[in-house]
Amino acid sequence: MATYSTSEFKNGIKILVDNQPFQMVYFQFVKPGKGTAFTRTKLKSLINGSVIERTFRSGEKVEIADCEEVTMQYMYQDGDMYNFMNMESYDQLAIPENIMEYELKWLLEGMEVEVMMYNARPVGISLPHFVDAEITYTEPGIKGNTATGASKPATVANGAVVQVPLFIEQGEVIKCDTREGGKYMNRSKE
Amino acid sequence: MPISMGLPPARVLRDRARILAALRGWMQHNGFLEVQVPIAVQSGALEEYLEPLPLGELQLHTSPEFALKRVLSIGLGRIYWMGPCFRAEELGPHHGTEFTMLEWYRIGCGYQGIAEDLLALLACIASSLGQTLPDVERLTWNEALHRHARVAIPSDPDEQMRVWVNDVEPQLQSPTLVIDYPARDAAFSTIRGQVAERFEFYWQGVELANAFTELLDPQELRARWAASAATRQAMGRAPHPEDERLVQAVASHPYAGGIALGVDRLVMLLLGLENIHQARIQA
Repeated sequence: MATYSTSEFKNGIKILVDNQPFQMVYFQFVKPGKGTAFTRTKLKSLINGSVIERTFRSGEKVEIADCEEVTMQYMYQDGDMYNFMNMESYDQLAIPENIMEYELKWLLEGMEVEVMMYNARPVGISLPHFVDAEITYTEPGIKGNTATGASKPATVANGAVVQVPLFIEQGEVIKCDTREGGKYMNRSKE
Repeated sequence: MPISMGLPPARVLRDRARILAALRGWMQHNGFLEVQVPIAVQSGALEEYLEPLPLGELQLHTSPEFALKRVLSIGLGRIYWMGPCFRAEELGPHHGTEFTMLEWYRIGCGYQGIAEDLLALLACIASSLGQTLPDVERLTWNEALHRHARVAIPSDPDEQMRVWVNDVEPQLQSPTLVIDYPARDAAFSTIRGQVAERFEFYWQGVELANAFTELLDPQELRARWAASAATRQAMGRAPHPEDERLVQAVASHPYAGGIALGVDRLVMLLLGLENIHQARIQA
């Protein structure tokens, strides 16, 4: 069993806590008055992205999570399963819907994503930071309304809803930042 | 990329100098004698979780307390020292291998008298920067633990310490004197019933100072050294060598209190810095 000691902690390492894989996003050495030292950490779940706090005693050993990210292209949906292809090996992988709640709304055929593999099983996917998505529905804009900051909801991609400026019309392709809930950036230049 | 000079901005060094001058000024004004202690010593620590840095046959001291406590036995009633201390295996926002400590002792009072010294000193330092120290709350260790713990309090002392680190320390934002520690964490302090006459001063979630009513019993000190040695051996660490001269000195100690204050942490808090390393010139 490969382990990290608390003195080897750094941001980005992947460890197992309660048999679940986490990535360390914060760590801090603490030592109360006369006692033993601890390391406070924040750990991001590699399965659902939620962040937990854990405190380890100095010298404690923590199991390394055997994780890797693989670039794959989304191909098609088949019921609850979504099929991806590894573009180097051409291996196909079916990923169940329930590990991609947020990402699913952005998933478009042909999109390249990073699939997190843990113990050879997919546990999550990461979208490209910026996605060009076609607006499938939005209310028509009011002509001449150029009020700064005014916005309206628009449905894009595979069902995600984002706020766009009033002048954006249905059928246009816009650039969104998936890290910020799909925040509208600009009209795509195509 | 420009090469970092490893220096704080000039205004930090200026304010740090102002704080150091105010600390020494308060000590002098209140009749404390500055005593120089050796930095390279025969025994660097008593407590089991302190790791001294070796220097040839000697060790760098982890605090000036052994030498200052020896001086207490020859009747100098008010003494202090300010300078560098060294602790291996401690590195974080509030910890560094080298850091600056102010330590003082006063004969004729216990930890309550030392608490008065500390609050007067801090008020004086804050005013030298045009600041005021907010009101100070007093809590026993037990009260602080029960007030702030977000989980059932475990019986294992190490697990209690984890709760302290996770739940209690971050809540001690306003200036707080945490008094009466569990007897097991007495270190050099006198035990009264179930508690050690010891306090720590917290501010903004940071432990700034640690004080004792000094232990006067040489046999008890020997027993604590033996207990520390046993714990260290169980951890696979070399025991800290017993300082026989200190044990002898304790036998002739008058009633006294003593305190150590983290100067880099004080500078960090007063100047609103993020960590102690921003308050110092980098090694």
